[in-house]
Amino acid sequence: MHIPDGILPITISAAGYATSGAATWHSLRKIGQKENAQASIPKASLLTAAFFVASWIHIPVPPTSVHLVLNGLLGAVLGYYAFPAILIGLFFQAVMFQHGGLTTLGVNATMMGVPAILAFFIFRLRRVVGKESHWAVGLFGFLAGAAGLGMAVLISWGLLITTIPAHLDVEAEQASIYALVLAHVPLIALEGFFTALVALFLQRVKPEMLEN
Amino acid sequence: MKWKWLIFPALLALLLAPAMTVRAHGAHIEYTINMTVEIVAAYDTGTPMAGGQVTVYAPDDPATPWLEGVCDEDGRFVFTPDPTKPGTWDVQVRQAGHGDMVHIPIGEDVAMAGGGGYSTFQIVLMSACVIWGFVGTALFFSRNRRD
Repeated sequence: MHIPDGILPITISAAGYATSGAATWHSLRKIGQKENAQASIPKASLLTAAFFVASWIHIPVPPTSVHLVLNGLLGAVLGYYAFPAILIGLFFQAVMFQHGGLTTLGVNATMMGVPAILAFFIFRLRRVVGKESHWAVGLFGFLAGAAGLGMAVLISWGLLITTIPAHLDVEAEQASIYALVLAHVPLIALEGFFTALVALFLQRVKPEMLEN
Repeated sequence: MKWKWLIFPALLALLLAPAMTVRAHGAHIEYTINMTVEIVAAYDTGTPMAGGQVTVYAPDDPATPWLEGVCDEDGRFVFTPDPTKPGTWDVQVRQAGHGDMVHIPIGEDVAMAGGGGYSTFQIVLMSACVIWGFVGTALFFSRNRRD
């Protein structure tokens, strides 16, 4: 899921930094407009830790394996805090474990962070359909978690499939990219289910955490 | 009839001619050192990058692939660098947009083995440090809120 250094052309990497910079600025501006912007920092910090660790949890999907991302969960619970949280988590993953890369930090942040904000808006739709019933929180929690990862996978697929260097065996690389995308389908459902469970749990024990 | 006395030495010289020919030429030995480089590519999980596409870049032209190939089912790939091109050889392995690049010094500063990766203990320790940083941040801002 994380695109490492040396895979994408430098123009794409630069564009990734531009888009992630714009998204960070927009997110921080929205956070700054909150009455008490610091109140959600503990929640954001703990979920950043969860995001940081999630990439080590591999789930075997024969013949390959995928790892948790949790960007949809962060979006649903954190709202605009999700983008800087993902950016910081990705930075530590790249610096500490070379998971991802510093040249592709902007691309990876955009790929996972923008869908997280989309997941935030999807999760907020539960208020449109009526009062915050359990089924509404569960359903939109599932949709937020699944859509967050699903959109990230689509962005990753689009970037990788269009930038395969000509000197490689293009057909073989395309086949392996399609296989990787397909391997994420069960994970999309799993993360949707996990996000729904977390949302239902928070609604029961600490509903104010879901008030973005 | 003095020439008859020359028959015996002439026959002897004729018989020994092949051996004398061999011994008369100087010996010459050529040698070539084939320094092969073996790489083993694997994912974080330890799964070999079977079928991963390998691109080797020579030190004198790091932008143009010098050699291309494919990892075997164990993620292994072997190549012989050109000894007339000392320096750092870059080897990239890529599969499904994932991969890594290793920099191999060849020449006077040759390294007989190398590579990345941390031990499980190092990973746990580093992760614990980062997680403690996040938890500490959460505790710090929670304390401010309570105050």
